[in-house]
Amino acid sequence: MKKIIICIFSAALLISCSDLEENPVGILAPKSFFKSPSDVQAAVNGSFAYMASEKYWGRKLTVSLLLRGDMADIGDQTTSIARVEVNKFTMTDESAMVASFWPQSYAIIGAANQAIDGAKRVTGKEAEINAIAAQAYFARAFAYYNLVRLFGAIPYIDFAVSNVNDVNTLSKTPENEVYNKIISDLQYAKQWLPNKQKVKSLPTKGTAAAYLASVYLTLGDFQNAYTESKYVIDNETTFGLGLEADFQDLFRSTKTATLKEPLFTIDFIGQSRVGDLGQDYLASLTGIRGDQSHSYGEGWSVAVPTLKVFNDWDARDYRRAVSFDTTAVRNGKVVDYTKFTSMSSLAVNRPHIAKYNRYAGVAGSNGRESDNNYFIMRYAEVLLIAAEALNEITPGSPEATGYVNRLLLRARNKGGKMSNFPVDVPAGLSQTDLRARILNERRLELAFEFGRWFDIKRLKLGSEVFSPTGNEPQPNFDPKRDYYFPLPGDELNRNPNLLPNNAGY
Amino acid sequence: MLATKKIKKKHWLLFGLLFVMGINVNAQERKITGKVTSSEDGLGLPGANVLIKGTRIGTSTDLDGSYELTVNGKITLEFNFIGFDTKDVVVGNTNTIDVALNSSVNTLSEIVVVGYGSQKKSDITGSVSSVKSAELTAYPVLSAEQALQGRSAGVSVQSNNGGEPGAPIKIRIRGGTSINASSDALVVVDGFVGGTMPPPEDIASMEILKDASATAIYGSRGSNGVIMVTTKKGKAGKPTIELNTSYSSQQVNNTLDVLNADQFAAYRATYVPGYVKGSADTNWQDVIYRAGAISNTQLSFSGGSDDVRYYVSANYFNQEGVIINSDLERYAITSNVDFKINDKFKAGINVFGNKSKRSGVSTQAQTGGTGNADVVSSAYRFAPDLGIYKQDGTYTTNSLGDDIDNPYASAMERVNETTFTAHRTNFYAAYEFIKGLEFKTTFGLDATNSKLGQFIPTTLIVGAGVGGQAEITETTRSTILSENYLTYKKDIGLGSLTLLGGYSYQKNRTEELYAGSQGFVTNSVSYHNLGAGSNPLIPGSELTEQELASLFGRINYDYNDKYLFTFTARRDGSSNFSENNKYAFFPSGAIGWNMGNENFLKDSKIISNFKWRASYGATGNPSIAPYGTLARFSETYAVIGDQVTNAVAVTSLANDDLKWETSYQADFGVDISFLDNKINFTADYYSIITKDLLFARPLPEYVGLANPYQIQNVGELENKGFEFALNTKNITNADFKWTTDFNISFNKNKINKLPNDEDILIASAPGHFLQSDSQILRVGESVGSFYGYIYDGVIQAGQTIPVGYENSPGGELLRDVNEDGKINSDDKTIIGDPTPDFIAGFNNDFKYKNFDMNIFFQASVGGDILNYTLLEMASGDSNATTEVLNAWTPTNTDTNVPMNARRAKRITSRYVYDGSYIRLKNISFGYNLPTDFLSTTGIEKIRVYVSAQNLWTQTKYPGADPEVNYQNNNNVRSNTNLGLDYGSYPNVKTFTMGINFKF
Repeated sequence: MKKIIICIFSAALLISCSDLEENPVGILAPKSFFKSPSDVQAAVNGSFAYMASEKYWGRKLTVSLLLRGDMADIGDQTTSIARVEVNKFTMTDESAMVASFWPQSYAIIGAANQAIDGAKRVTGKEAEINAIAAQAYFARAFAYYNLVRLFGAIPYIDFAVSNVNDVNTLSKTPENEVYNKIISDLQYAKQWLPNKQKVKSLPTKGTAAAYLASVYLTLGDFQNAYTESKYVIDNETTFGLGLEADFQDLFRSTKTATLKEPLFTIDFIGQSRVGDLGQDYLASLTGIRGDQSHSYGEGWSVAVPTLKVFNDWDARDYRRAVSFDTTAVRNGKVVDYTKFTSMSSLAVNRPHIAKYNRYAGVAGSNGRESDNNYFIMRYAEVLLIAAEALNEITPGSPEATGYVNRLLLRARNKGGKMSNFPVDVPAGLSQTDLRARILNERRLELAFEFGRWFDIKRLKLGSEVFSPTGNEPQPNFDPKRDYYFPLPGDELNRNPNLLPNNAGY
Repeated sequence: MLATKKIKKKHWLLFGLLFVMGINVNAQERKITGKVTSSEDGLGLPGANVLIKGTRIGTSTDLDGSYELTVNGKITLEFNFIGFDTKDVVVGNTNTIDVALNSSVNTLSEIVVVGYGSQKKSDITGSVSSVKSAELTAYPVLSAEQALQGRSAGVSVQSNNGGEPGAPIKIRIRGGTSINASSDALVVVDGFVGGTMPPPEDIASMEILKDASATAIYGSRGSNGVIMVTTKKGKAGKPTIELNTSYSSQQVNNTLDVLNADQFAAYRATYVPGYVKGSADTNWQDVIYRAGAISNTQLSFSGGSDDVRYYVSANYFNQEGVIINSDLERYAITSNVDFKINDKFKAGINVFGNKSKRSGVSTQAQTGGTGNADVVSSAYRFAPDLGIYKQDGTYTTNSLGDDIDNPYASAMERVNETTFTAHRTNFYAAYEFIKGLEFKTTFGLDATNSKLGQFIPTTLIVGAGVGGQAEITETTRSTILSENYLTYKKDIGLGSLTLLGGYSYQKNRTEELYAGSQGFVTNSVSYHNLGAGSNPLIPGSELTEQELASLFGRINYDYNDKYLFTFTARRDGSSNFSENNKYAFFPSGAIGWNMGNENFLKDSKIISNFKWRASYGATGNPSIAPYGTLARFSETYAVIGDQVTNAVAVTSLANDDLKWETSYQADFGVDISFLDNKINFTADYYSIITKDLLFARPLPEYVGLANPYQIQNVGELENKGFEFALNTKNITNADFKWTTDFNISFNKNKINKLPNDEDILIASAPGHFLQSDSQILRVGESVGSFYGYIYDGVIQAGQTIPVGYENSPGGELLRDVNEDGKINSDDKTIIGDPTPDFIAGFNNDFKYKNFDMNIFFQASVGGDILNYTLLEMASGDSNATTEVLNAWTPTNTDTNVPMNARRAKRITSRYVYDGSYIRLKNISFGYNLPTDFLSTTGIEKIRVYVSAQNLWTQTKYPGADPEVNYQNNNNVRSNTNLGLDYGSYPNVKTFTMGINFKF
């Protein structure tokens, strides 16, 4: 009997020898994670991964940028109010779009900060580690550059947050200081990034320089904008850059990974994980309601340019044919855009954006989760920045004209056949005329590539392009308010030091 | 020799005997014989004790309830049997004494199961209520939790999803004591902490431990109350076979009045000029609803001898839900065997097995965007002028709002099957070292496996885009529990002392596995051949382990049945706790005063019992997830250069100081019985202050996490309330009996402190509403208060309207709360409180000869409901309720319904309703076939009955049903998301007929 009891006691005690320490298997801890440069790369990849999210480049940020500008209007009037508000300049501090891409922007930044912090902890060749850290500097600069242009003064964090109390009461950093920090990050990136990467979705020295040029252009610092863009152009071969021969190839999902024109891409591959990562809806949002052209079915006619945008674009320009779909297919018959509403009551009788829907590759229903890779910077834009900046420094410069003409030359290649339109920009234009011409080329060449709103803001074109005779009449547009988006109201509630909101909200 | 003597003595003292033991006889001795029966059914009670009062001399009855006892002189006999009132009979001249004992349900000699032991109800100092087998099986329910609804004061019970087969049941004891941690009560099944609940038919009783005195023995897991489940055990005596079977038919309780095709087309045309009506006229609710059915059968065997007792039961439950393609089937086996190895050594084993399979349809969608709408909300939303199929034979999709599948397609085509198995074995051994000192050890294993298989075929929007999608998610859990404790009971003079001390160790291991695939050649393989998909999804797996090591103890002291003292403490060490706080200590104390036993009341004819109780103590809520205090990098899906690539990102920050939540509870109670316990009244006042709330605090989003939240100990919450329970035996004739139970509970929930005392906003609207905030946590308010704009009706011509929202006549008028002339988020305010003012249950049992009847009402009063379904239906993106037929037009201005338009789905008071209701939860009639009729058949008892559940409901709530629980499916949501209604599985009316056999 006693034996039994002893056994029971000892069994009970044996099973209970525990120190209650947690030894998680399969979970990564930040403190011990960084051991080699490849761990830093994994952390940088986290930052890039967050860009390829529905909350950021896959929908919320990009569709906001499209609709905010004058090149895309709401098509299907029954679409979500949050989109309509961005388009019609009736946003509030509760905007569901901002509520999505604001935190995601900071998630990108947070991941980059962790990578930069991790880079300090690993041992190895300095150049190798810095080259990886430089990618994180670029990612951080990229996210802040979008934020500062959208919101102006914002909270700025450039360290890995490990204790929330360090940042709870942060104030906004003024716009000009944010720009200075972006420039400094990009300069670091330019210093350490390699001339080439194996893939286009990692930044290079050229990417950093091109972004520096873009930032300087935004700030009106034309000399530096020119210097940085000229640096890219001068090293075109070193960086492996160039213009694609056929403009259409830029928007063919099967080809985008092999192109020489992009300086940085955000990649989607037609799949996603539960959640928002890898989810892309741009093909859906720009596709045509009721269209049966594609295996992935109809689009949603959400972001559709006004007729004026289409009609004002010279029909002979091959880039217009690439940028627009003017017909759809229904029950085996071709339907012209003037009859799109016959296919669906949600469609709209206007040509639709073709850049993302026409060749979306492997995609889910409506073209969601497309195979598209999006160019966040391509060589054509570098040429245009150089041209615009140079014209401001040296009015009417033939060098500037030459950069534009490189694009026009390429545009004359109509899928392999050379045409004679568009003709070169003539020499000897005045500064004003050349400026207008360059800006118009930016608008057309880079149509629907998410940069137009920033140009409108940078050049204060709103009152013109949203006027009754503008590209997209928007009676609510108010230049005192609408060049900034509203900061998210709940964020201001959490930290009142961020008050006040931008003027007018 | 010595040992033999001792054993004999033991028989005498503790267990009673089937045989009369030899006692010394003298000349005056005589033999008394008789039969002990139950007054209820006249059947003999086997194993009842017959004792000479004031001694421990006596016997126990045999299988028929007969006894024989030799007595000496003028004595009184005491007849007692567990579950019955003790009866004393003075032995007169007669030698035959037959006794009918009255059932003692709800009276004071009842034994009540408490943590690590049991006590007489009269000795209890804490707040404990009991629910008996008859109440748990009054009507067919899948889970015993459901049967608790309305049965006990202070216990709120609600289905998380209407009448869905297998819907989780939410129980709150004295309100939600937390905001972000689970407020679910701890379930202890036959001593096994966290065991799977057995079917109600196998449960002998459920005790609900409510105050800290009762729950502190469970320490860090006690703050939400404890439900002690005791399964049925065999009794020594004749073997009993019971067969209980019932069949129920169910129908949807209520539908919404939606527009038909003509009305819909006319409605659409008012804000979509030129709307062309579709060719069909479909009421989608009619399409997806059907008559449901439940079949429930249980077969049990029980019996045994003094040395071995057994109870074995098998149960089969099958439910076809009232929505097409939703059903559930369950098999369960319970087996209890107790054996006596010798007089000092007892042991036993409890085995439980359960297997169920549930086919679900999607309801309560978290987002009803493209391709994602659930079956019920889409039955409300979907255009009525479309049919099920298009001309080409494919399913229709919606013609307005988000692109969604029609409800029929969604219900029939989506596969969603959960297979659940559970096995639990719990062994115990108890050894009595010396009289009164017992050591007990239990060792138990519990293993559950839950597999969710899902398939979305290409016939649905989401499946079409990806070539069909199949997914399997499997969760395997195992728990080892070892508990070892000593109990020492000793009478010291007039006092009696009970000491308890022990050690417990528990380890849980959870493994999760996920796999999925897309791109199937055919829809026919469902989720059973993931390899057939051309596009495998990223698999996932996870292992978590947690350990809990505890010391616990209790002292009970009872002086002269008048003064009762209880002290309880537990020290829990948990692996889940943070680096700096691994061990938690929870003490409690209570006093009781049986004033009824004082001389001045002892002989009162009116007051038969009068007890005061007071307790105070601390209990915890440990809801910190394993590894939840550690900083974490998570692997992240990344595509670099068109290749899926290794990537990580920080997903949580460390919190080395995180602690459990602690609830400090005071309870003052009184138990009074009148007129020989015919009227029993219990009242309690309690105050629970929960500190160090575990708070998933929204961090500033610029912190840079993908999900910017962190669990912190911030804030304080209180629940205060009164509970009253009244049990009356109104009529107790031999032929006619009527008893009434009434309970009512008032709980007030209030937030005392929040981080920096700042408001915290919560979003609960379906994702496709694109609304950020719908509830608020604010100091001084109750948890889950609705937050939005005040709807002031329709704008009429000539009114001055604040800017920022609608401004033309017929539009929605929102109140400019801060009077700044603008409508913006600063004008949002509290627009409703979902916490009921009180909940109540009212039960009546009647027995007339062989007939019995039960009428049970249950009510909830004063809780508000925010109805997202009606909000959506008024948005212009959806089919509408017939309310819009009264919309504002220039000629119909006297209305509260704004003109037809598309509107953002803003949260306004327009959709907040009073959710009060009273419901006839059960009404049943039963008939016991006469015993003389049965005597020839060998069957002891046959009862046939019919019953109806939810037959009648009184409510002003305009939604489908006031028992709502949307977005309530995890810890955070279950506290904050109260009174929300969206796409819930409909509640049901049930009609049952059944028959019970006892052999």
